[in-house]
Amino acid sequence: MAQLIINSFLKLFSYFAQFNYYFLSHRSLVLSSLLLFVLVFQLYASSDDQLRQSSARSAILKAILAPEEKQPELVEALAQNLHPVLGPILEAWQKGDLFILDLNGKLTPVIRLPDSQLQLVENAQSLPIAQLPENARPLETTGKLRRAMRIILDQLALADPSPEIRENAVLKLGMRQNLQSLPILERLKEQEEHPKVKIAILDAISLINLNSPDTTTKIKALSHFEARAPIFARDSIQKILADSSISPAVRDAANKAMKAIERRIFWTDFFGTVFRGISLGSVLLVVAIGLAITFGLMGIINMAHGEIMIIGGYTVFVVQCLFGTGLALAPFGFSFNLPGLGLDPASNLYQAYFLISLPIAFLISAIVGLILERGIIQFLYQRPLETLLATWGISLILQQLFRLIFGPANIPVTAPAWLTGSYVVEGVIMNYNRIFVIFAAFVILVATWLLLARTPLGLLIRAVIQDRSTAACMGVSTGKVNSLTFAFGSGLAGVAGALLALLGNIGPSTGQTYIVDAFMVVVLGGVGNLAGTVLSALGIGTLDQILQISLRNPVIGKVLVLVGIILFLQWKPSGLFTIRSRSLDEG
Amino acid sequence: MKIKSLISFLAIAIFAAIIPSFAADKVVKVGVLHSLSGTMAISETSLRDVLLFAFDEINKSGGVLGHKIEPIVVDGASNWPLFAEKAKELLEVHKVPVVFGCWTSVSRKSVLPVFEKNNGLLFYAVQYEGEELSPNIFYTAEAVNQQATPAVDYLLEMGRKKFYLLGSDYVYPQTTNLILLEYLLSKGIPIENIGGGLRKDSKGNVISAGKYVPFGHTDFQQIVAEIKQFAASGDACVINTINGDSNVPFFKEFAASGLTAEECPVVSLSLSEDEFRSLPTKDLVGHLGAWAYFMSLDTPENKKFKENFFEWLKTANVPGIERQNRVTCSPMVLSYSSVYLWKAAVEKAGSFEVDKVRAALESGEITFLGPNGLNTMLKNHHTKKNVYIGETKADGQFKILRQFEQVVPEPFLKGTFLKK
Repeated sequence: MAQLIINSFLKLFSYFAQFNYYFLSHRSLVLSSLLLFVLVFQLYASSDDQLRQSSARSAILKAILAPEEKQPELVEALAQNLHPVLGPILEAWQKGDLFILDLNGKLTPVIRLPDSQLQLVENAQSLPIAQLPENARPLETTGKLRRAMRIILDQLALADPSPEIRENAVLKLGMRQNLQSLPILERLKEQEEHPKVKIAILDAISLINLNSPDTTTKIKALSHFEARAPIFARDSIQKILADSSISPAVRDAANKAMKAIERRIFWTDFFGTVFRGISLGSVLLVVAIGLAITFGLMGIINMAHGEIMIIGGYTVFVVQCLFGTGLALAPFGFSFNLPGLGLDPASNLYQAYFLISLPIAFLISAIVGLILERGIIQFLYQRPLETLLATWGISLILQQLFRLIFGPANIPVTAPAWLTGSYVVEGVIMNYNRIFVIFAAFVILVATWLLLARTPLGLLIRAVIQDRSTAACMGVSTGKVNSLTFAFGSGLAGVAGALLALLGNIGPSTGQTYIVDAFMVVVLGGVGNLAGTVLSALGIGTLDQILQISLRNPVIGKVLVLVGIILFLQWKPSGLFTIRSRSLDEG
Repeated sequence: MKIKSLISFLAIAIFAAIIPSFAADKVVKVGVLHSLSGTMAISETSLRDVLLFAFDEINKSGGVLGHKIEPIVVDGASNWPLFAEKAKELLEVHKVPVVFGCWTSVSRKSVLPVFEKNNGLLFYAVQYEGEELSPNIFYTAEAVNQQATPAVDYLLEMGRKKFYLLGSDYVYPQTTNLILLEYLLSKGIPIENIGGGLRKDSKGNVISAGKYVPFGHTDFQQIVAEIKQFAASGDACVINTINGDSNVPFFKEFAASGLTAEECPVVSLSLSEDEFRSLPTKDLVGHLGAWAYFMSLDTPENKKFKENFFEWLKTANVPGIERQNRVTCSPMVLSYSSVYLWKAAVEKAGSFEVDKVRAALESGEITFLGPNGLNTMLKNHHTKKNVYIGETKADGQFKILRQFEQVVPEPFLKGTFLKK
């Protein structure tokens, strides 16, 4: 279901930006990779291939067993015997997974596969020995050797069945700008079926042609880039422009191409900044919205807001562990194990753990909030400053509790697979987890507004906030309404903590990082005003991102945002001091 | 009879006087100065643990010059002025001949005048930015040319051509990145291939290279987008000196944006196995680290060290010590090695006196074959040792990819590369 929500959200976004192209090319991607797979499969089956495979294997065997100073040369010579089987062997060698074992007096190279199985280099047979002998040492590599391996691996990648790998390999070859690679690319251009890889090949050829001694070829390549405007060509074109000996025609073409790329970068940055601003704003909004209710509407200066938030983060962690392999805890010196369901991390149910943990986080934080309100805060409604001290104390107690239960280290929350990765449109990166947070912020906002404006409970809440004694006279149980409101605000804080677990750390003192931001947003927006909170969260988020990109310095950006807020509050202090809530009226 | 009993009485008296002086060993007090509370406690407590382990190990095998080590552990509480006060207490009240301690550069800078004034002896075992050489401090950890520049060498070997410098905003990353900038330029990397931005003073001298974030920074969207553009033209990498918690949101953002370790590896200079206990490593798999020691190092010395240390942890009588999920890392092992280097120097000097021990250490003959390989103390107060490049695995351990044999330390690097 979550997939569905995200997908429809994405679709909306893409329509908005008119990028239907992506979806079309996606379909063809699947088709052509299928085709290629068939082709490769046929290749494998032929006996000709077996011959080439065995000659490739014997060539690399020779390189492995050669003395160290000869190895780079022999590895480079593998170019004449290129075959896909070389890839895993070279990679294993590079990563220290290649060993030479003494089997019955014969030196036998073996590679260790990721599942720690051993495989003979000679014929890819698995070895019956389950474990490596104690004294086995991986075969060393030198810098020169690794460079030679890189070259061979890059060449192998050009014929890889996966179009993405091919695309990358082709571009990499282009970026080397070696004129000798041109014939290879021209040949690949003829064979390639996949449209995306085809474009990559054209780009790579143009990249190399930028280096061409012939002026017309150079200009042709430059005009190719003027039309395509890919960001990766910027460095090479810059190099041309830095050269003072080029002809005016080349300079003109290079300038045009550069302008096109810069225009592309400008728009990428522009839309990127808009997205990042909204994303940061929505993080601030989910952090602040709970506080906007407990502080903004009820006037309780709740310093423990950050810790109540983190309860949500810990809830996600516990749910994640319960869905997985269980959890060992040792609070107050007693250690016990919570058994897990042992679900397969790839199963749909496991993947849904995050969605399931959101309402649980809400409930648990709300209950903690309820206990706090009934136990401590209700006695302090007349004395707001003492509320501040008491809740600060509670925050310290909660932090220590987290430490005792979960340990002082941060806990690892892994985002489910459907929330990892990103959606890239024309260079603008939109991470799924950030899109999810924006979406969640929107849902939370609407839900809060509906509750306050459209339900009987909301009516009571508003009545008690406006005038407690009159509401009490009319028969409203003000104590109950207060408890429920505080619990609701705390629950929202818990949801915020759960969402933050997707983006960063959850640890005992994480709440402290967010409490200042939360108060900042609520105060700037005007206490007691939900719309103001939304506006200030998005405003601060966007301003922060704009300053970051224009100053290229996050530290000064952050300082300027704070200075800006101080100046704003000097000019319009109404946000800060006209708290229209009964606690200060009475106090 | 009377004389006989007198003699026997005397004999007993003499015996009684002598025996206690045999039984009560001579002790030498040794200072341990680390933050056991506050933000740095999570890293520094591990160093205290390994130091106490080293002392116990030495005491069991006869002590130093027949003296048992008695550790005086004080808490710097992540508070830099307090570090100076505690150092003063160790040197003036307890009169310890040696102190092992400090983690952050700022704590070291704050105790430095105290050690110089009292002619104390400090062993500092955490990688640092160099550009310092106090007669009273011995730096047993990685100098910049034993961590950052070998990491760059490795990346150059791997064909990387563009370097993005990123760090927390304080003295270690700032200084290291300035040195790296010079180093990269001297290796023929053009200045436009060094990412993160340059800040120049009014005369046009570069005063800061790379991108810096405040401590505890959580929003890395902008920076990752910039790296993505930087890496678009291929062969790019990131040199990361971000400290602590901020690494998690950085790597989460980095992974989510689709950048991979293959496409643009990140080499982190402040993340060791100990930090991985509190960082989710999933997003770091495949990225690199550079240290003088990795827990996965396969040597008999390391195997023995790990076995003994974990055995010791089970029974160690230290209040509040963490016994579970413990690992070893470079700062820990270099702390351990510095105790043995000091012991060797004391034994060579035949005395605990600071001047004599210093002379012994400066002789260049003090060595210790530790879990990280051979350490040799040189005249410049730094140790010659191996440097390793490792790749992060999912279990928070490193797979060693490359070893630089016995790298000679050089604390003063600024301005040296370009002249050559």
